[in-house]
Amino acid sequence: MKNISASNPAEDQAKEQASKLSVYVSSSPHVHSTEDVPWIMRQVIYALIPGALVGVYFFGIPALKVIALAVVSCVVMEALWQKLTGNPITIKDGSAVLTGLLLAMNLPSGAPWWLVVIGSLVAIIIAKQLFGGIGNNPFNPALVGRVFLLISFPVAMTTWPEPRSFFSQAADATTGATPLGALKTAIFEHGTIAAAPGMNLMDPFLGNVGGSLGEISALALILGGIYLIARRIITWHIPVVYIATVAVLTGILWLVNPEGYASPAFHLVAGGLMLGAFFMATDMVTSPITNTGKVVFAAGCGVITVVIRLWGGYPEGVSFAILIMNAFVPLINRATRPTKFGAVR
Amino acid sequence: MKTFKGGIHPPEEKQLVKDNPIVDFPLSSRYHVLVQQHLGAPAKPVVKAGDEVKKGQVLSEPLGFVSVPVHAPTSGRVKEIGRIVHPVTGLLAPCIVIDADGRDEWAEGLPLERDPFAMSREELLDAIKTAGVVGMGGATFPTHVKLSPPKDKTIDTFIVNGAECEPYLSSDHRLMLEQPERVLKGAGVIMKALGLDRATIAIEANKPDAIKLMREKAPAEIQVETLKVKYPQGAEKQLINALTGREVPSGGLPMDVGAVVQNAGTCAAVWDACARGIPLIERITSVTGRGIVQPKNIRVRVGTLLREVIDFCGGLNGAAKIIFGGPMMGIAQFTQDIAIMKGTSGVLVLREEDTNITAYSACISCGRCVEACPMELIPSVLSKLGEKGMYQKAMENNLLDCVECGSCTYVCPANRPIVHFVKHLKALSRAASAKK
Amino acid sequence: MISSILLLGGIGFLAALILGISAVTFAVKMDPREKAVLDQLPGANCGACGFAGCAAFAHEITVNPEAEMACPAVNEEALEAMSGILGRSLGGSAPLIACIRCKGAPAETTNRYGYVGPKDCRAAQIVAGGSKGCQYGCLGLGTCEEVCPFGAIIMGEDGLPRVIESLCTGCGKCVSVCPRGIIQLIPKTGNYCVGCISKDTAKDMKPLCKVGCIKCGICADVCPFDAITVSKTTSAEIDQDKCQRCGLCVSACPTGVISALRVPQKVRIIAEKCKGCSICEQVCPAEAISGKVKEPYFVNEGKCIGCGLCIAKCPSDAIERIIS
Repeated sequence: MKNISASNPAEDQAKEQASKLSVYVSSSPHVHSTEDVPWIMRQVIYALIPGALVGVYFFGIPALKVIALAVVSCVVMEALWQKLTGNPITIKDGSAVLTGLLLAMNLPSGAPWWLVVIGSLVAIIIAKQLFGGIGNNPFNPALVGRVFLLISFPVAMTTWPEPRSFFSQAADATTGATPLGALKTAIFEHGTIAAAPGMNLMDPFLGNVGGSLGEISALALILGGIYLIARRIITWHIPVVYIATVAVLTGILWLVNPEGYASPAFHLVAGGLMLGAFFMATDMVTSPITNTGKVVFAAGCGVITVVIRLWGGYPEGVSFAILIMNAFVPLINRATRPTKFGAVR
Repeated sequence: MKTFKGGIHPPEEKQLVKDNPIVDFPLSSRYHVLVQQHLGAPAKPVVKAGDEVKKGQVLSEPLGFVSVPVHAPTSGRVKEIGRIVHPVTGLLAPCIVIDADGRDEWAEGLPLERDPFAMSREELLDAIKTAGVVGMGGATFPTHVKLSPPKDKTIDTFIVNGAECEPYLSSDHRLMLEQPERVLKGAGVIMKALGLDRATIAIEANKPDAIKLMREKAPAEIQVETLKVKYPQGAEKQLINALTGREVPSGGLPMDVGAVVQNAGTCAAVWDACARGIPLIERITSVTGRGIVQPKNIRVRVGTLLREVIDFCGGLNGAAKIIFGGPMMGIAQFTQDIAIMKGTSGVLVLREEDTNITAYSACISCGRCVEACPMELIPSVLSKLGEKGMYQKAMENNLLDCVECGSCTYVCPANRPIVHFVKHLKALSRAASAKK
Repeated sequence: MISSILLLGGIGFLAALILGISAVTFAVKMDPREKAVLDQLPGANCGACGFAGCAAFAHEITVNPEAEMACPAVNEEALEAMSGILGRSLGGSAPLIACIRCKGAPAETTNRYGYVGPKDCRAAQIVAGGSKGCQYGCLGLGTCEEVCPFGAIIMGEDGLPRVIESLCTGCGKCVSVCPRGIIQLIPKTGNYCVGCISKDTAKDMKPLCKVGCIKCGICADVCPFDAITVSKTTSAEIDQDKCQRCGLCVSACPTGVISALRVPQKVRIIAEKCKGCSICEQVCPAEAISGKVKEPYFVNEGKCIGCGLCIAKCPSDAIERIIS
């Protein structure tokens, strides 16, 4: 049973008959909320704009190029695939645009064009369309794209241009480390965080640090996240629980050993936590359906993120944490089914 | 303010018709009275072509306990036992066609004068059944059955449902404003029939004038409660839950938690039946929506053709959907040659831009349906199973607990017809169990 | 280095051990015949046998010597093979084929409203009883095509389903899903079926459908075998047991609502065997046979309708069908 899509002759037929009889007939209800899938996707895109703008401000035109290329190649990839497989083309729902934008925000601003295109290909075709398209992908497509690139092209994916003001961009941008990367190096080489250079909190809060082009400013991302919660696109459960879990775990360790572990405040503003907690982990398709499930899911993401950041080989663990927890979503959904009204409790 | 868990708040749209006083629909020249206007066992016509009938005369006799008769809406001659499209099934169903003689004479002895509070419980129930009273909110379940709980169930709560949570409709609202006595006295009769000494009348907060009037008029034993404006606040199970905190058990009936709910319109009909012996031959209906030229609240006889009702309200204006009932649970009609029934609480005419005929897409697991579901089910799973026709699996996912209120479908961003899938699955499981 | 090798090797060994133990302890004992029988079954899991899929039926028929062959979808060859495997004769049922009993394509019929909803006939039926003007006709949303496990039904361009004779196994899955009950199983040897089941009188039906059965009764009159019944409120019905596949009804039907599954083969007379008795000439309804008494007769192929009445009546077995 296929649904009736815009290009389906059955619907054209229904329209034609209705024009004759001036009456449609369907099952109740007969009215519908105006908040449809494209509307939701648009809201998420709006919410990402502050974060993306900060990226463009600090990394200049190359960042803009990465964003544009990722969005365009994701949309083209989706349209092409659907055309080739003879499925209805659904790029109008905005999900490919959003995937492209999210992927770009997870890439370094200096990413070469082929890296962006390969990432889009993996995200759209392997992570999304091969699983059946929108609604059927178990893993967040943008994150699959990013992690694929990170593992396959580690050098290109960890070459971080230094942030500068948009108006003082030099032609030959220098590169540096991310705050979390610097921290990991310091611990690895000296066994203590004291050796990590300049661990202030204001720079990563505003975005004046190295990193993926969309993750650098915690402030911009929080603003976007608040917009999403206010618009009731996402609920507070995933971001709040995710961030709180990270804060509590790193906080305990920091209290125990402030020499060996960075402060929870640093862990919150550094790296991709805000981007992950507000925008990646909250992806509707790949997160649990009930609020209880969302809490479990977010707590899991928090624990895995901390474990990878503190004891793993990679400095940052948000992407891996979310992807790992994505795999548990069907289980979480099953375990957190609501008790139906009128059940014997 | 009392309410329940879940639910939605669609645009109320009641302003179209809520301030229009009830007007009497003029006498028609011909009525089409459907024989089957209630939920339950069928009834059998007792008149034949050529018979002279008087207003209020019995036209059909009920076959079984869960069944009620229908009555002549006016005096005249039976033209034929014909067939007309049934608004609920969409298929042709038997109806009694009456050519009015214009005199509109009551059957002998009607209306009578009697004191219902002097009558016994059995006499009251008999009067209600004889008058053909059914639930007038739209479900059309015979009222006398609801008032006859089995001996092992103790009823301690009686609720008059004045919530009218369906958007657009205002028929109960107008009734409560214009004829509060009928509603309150009818509620008193039902209290007597149930052997209770108190009752609650529940009204949504968007009808402050009705709440105020009811508070003024209601006797001490009838308490007026204000409900939060939320759909489906007027659904029986949600209403009981909001007012008493009790949950009707899965698969059970309100009487299992000691509650009886009657619509305000039903209370008024009960009063007419018991105090004056008047059968249910007319009702108040909101004719509304932006597809109708002059929205009106009308007092209309059962058996009036929709075509006449639409003409009376100034005709159609870009109508895309004509619905009997409200926009959330009403039934879409495809012809104007259908008759008003006892359960027709509204005639809603929507234009293309007011309704929803766009295509649906894949579920994105956003969970909005889960939050909206007042029965705390997972509608998205039911809709996916519906797509595949997997009714057994759906039964495990509490298919039969779904009340088809439409909240999930209203909020679904992928526009999935979840209620339609649920109806489809229920039909499949019924067919499968019938085969066995 | 060594420790790594030992660790990885150890893990591998442990996993192998667990797999090995599981394979032994959890092994399901299966009669080898059951597997062989299963291989012969179509593997479509259509459920027509009444069991939960082919494997369940294969199990039943292997372990239960009383079990009868309930699969309608096996061919002669497979049936024989299974009989051999199980060592007992499995009497197969006569093979069936689905036929579509509605010819009311959208172009020929009216509609009551524009249906909006899932593309499934059963779902469409529960909304106001289906959009088709005729309440007996095909809704055309292709649920039969969707459920057919053998790909034997395709929705034609005219909006009606078509059965592909060579693929249909007569499993009846389509019959069980059609909300209008317009699919009927007839013996595969049968050839004619009436494309209408409307119970409306011709007067009621005509405004709704141009091609339905008008209940004129001509087919019943021309049928030499009394195999067709028709009344004012039931469409023509062919009794497949009585039908001799002469096809006279097809040529007689004024609305063309009776259709043939396949074109009947014409006949020829074997001159050497023909004794010139003229019986064939007398029985031929199409006046296609002529000749002189006591000399071999001839068939006019252009006129022959392939009814085969002459074959049945020829006393000297001198008539055969032309194999093309």
